Amino acid sequence: MKPLVIAARPHAAPRAPFRELRSLWFQITGTLCNLACRHCFNASGPRDPWLGMLAPDVVRRYLREAEALGVREVYFTGGEPFLHPEILSLLQDALAVAPVTVLTNGTLIDDALADRLARMSGLARYSLEIRVSLDAPTAAENDAIRGRGSFANALGAIRRLAARGLPPIVTATEIVAPSHGGSLYERLRTVLLEAGIEPPRIKILPVLPLGRCAGHRSDRMLTNADLEGFDVARLQCTETRVVAAGGIYACPILAGLPRARVGDDRLADALVPNALDHTACSTCYETGITCTNF
Amino acid sequence: MALIGGVYANHLALEAALADARARDAEAVYCLGDLGGFGPHPDRVFPLLQDAGVRCVQGNYDLAIADGAADCGCGYTDPRDNHFARISYDYTLRHTSAANRHWLATLPPALRLRVGNARVLLCHGSPRQVNEFLWETTTPDGLLEKFCRDTESEVVCFTHTGIKWERRLPSGRHAVNVGALGRPENDGTPRVWYTLLTAGDDVAVEFVPVDYDHARLAGEMTDEGLPPHFVETIRTGWWTCCLESMPVKERSRGRY
Repeated sequence: MKPLVIAARPHAAPRAPFRELRSLWFQITGTLCNLACRHCFNASGPRDPWLGMLAPDVVRRYLREAEALGVREVYFTGGEPFLHPEILSLLQDALAVAPVTVLTNGTLIDDALADRLARMSGLARYSLEIRVSLDAPTAAENDAIRGRGSFANALGAIRRLAARGLPPIVTATEIVAPSHGGSLYERLRTVLLEAGIEPPRIKILPVLPLGRCAGHRSDRMLTNADLEGFDVARLQCTETRVVAAGGIYACPILAGLPRARVGDDRLADALVPNALDHTACSTCYETGITCTNF
Repeated sequence: MALIGGVYANHLALEAALADARARDAEAVYCLGDLGGFGPHPDRVFPLLQDAGVRCVQGNYDLAIADGAADCGCGYTDPRDNHFARISYDYTLRHTSAANRHWLATLPPALRLRVGNARVLLCHGSPRQVNEFLWETTTPDGLLEKFCRDTESEVVCFTHTGIKWERRLPSGRHAVNVGALGRPENDGTPRVWYTLLTAGDDVAVEFVPVDYDHARLAGEMTDEGLPPHFVETIRTGWWTCCLESMPVKERSRGRY
């Protein structure tokens, strides 16, 4: 499965300076996922992933390098990170360096895994955050996007983690149609409160015009004029890097895309200005950094 | 050396802490910013600080109030957090005099001092960003070492999160979140805290609890029409809102 090709632009792309490394992401399972969500920005799925898994040694090497560079936080994403056979030992290694967040669909978090994550969190000096994706407040709406049974599975994972003192951040993409029942945030909050999750932690994300949602929003490319007087600290690529199969990439949204590749060896060498050469850059430009927890 | 973090217009706790620091013969008192927000009558803290000769660092709230900015600059995205942050900010902006706003605009973003042989940097959020949250469980040693190196300091002190912590780094340097004076620290008690740095072979860090007339402050907040959620925090010591940035470990120690 390949991501959709992005059209060439007529003029040179503006470049965002690199400020300092704050977050390091690992596209740990590439695009291998046990769901195939309708809006997935990197077109992850269970068959023929277009981006491969990361080897454990690669992850450990970049953790060491990031620590020396003063990284603030580490994220594991995919695909579905809990499909990686070494995920738990890698989380443990990462937690020795920095706070860690895992972005998951929750489907694999049964009682046994929730127990292990809670134990790992309890023993770690830094925070382990789990972000569980749930895109709508009803099974009908959510499962139409994320697949049959995904609502119940995600809610089960949220309950299990919360019951063990590890309340997850529930992450929703604004993909469902607006409802008369209130904002997506309010509707999710109500459902989670009814499920005994109090207070719910909810993060709303914009839809990204990539992968299965290419063309969802404006396909505008940024220009040099856009950056005049603009606070570039709002752009994630000025403070983050992503390690994925094939190299180091400018931001988690663009991991694996050749034009977002900024290095293939030392992390320090990849901390360079990045060409804002993708339609998704306009989303970050408009919304500010939304991929990080806060 | 006494260091006080976020005052948040808690003039009663400020009075009590200044008296306590005097009684302990603190050579000087420094404030790490955020004079207003959350509490009542924001103008009341200014003469207390100025009369006691407290040197202040500019916090994100001070910067916003000085500029008349659109919001407090904490960067919340959670609508509920933003709702309460907005009430607090609008109240503080309305009740801070032009003269005090001008004074806030003159405050420096950081101060440097010496405690014994140690070079100490005082800032609000972090040395690189006024509104960066440095929580104990989300601030790695590697980052703190970098802050010390970048600022050529043996001790880096900050506030902004509202919960105190201290860490001796592998290099022997120190990082200190001095906590907040304006709001209890989500531990189920109404007391608040300030910090003492004492010179010696190494810098000694001591957190000092401050008991004050929190019931009176709660009454003033109610009289001023501030949200019951805020008043509950002053009375009980549990945080009720603006929790979005709080990491899971710190959150699990609170009620909400």
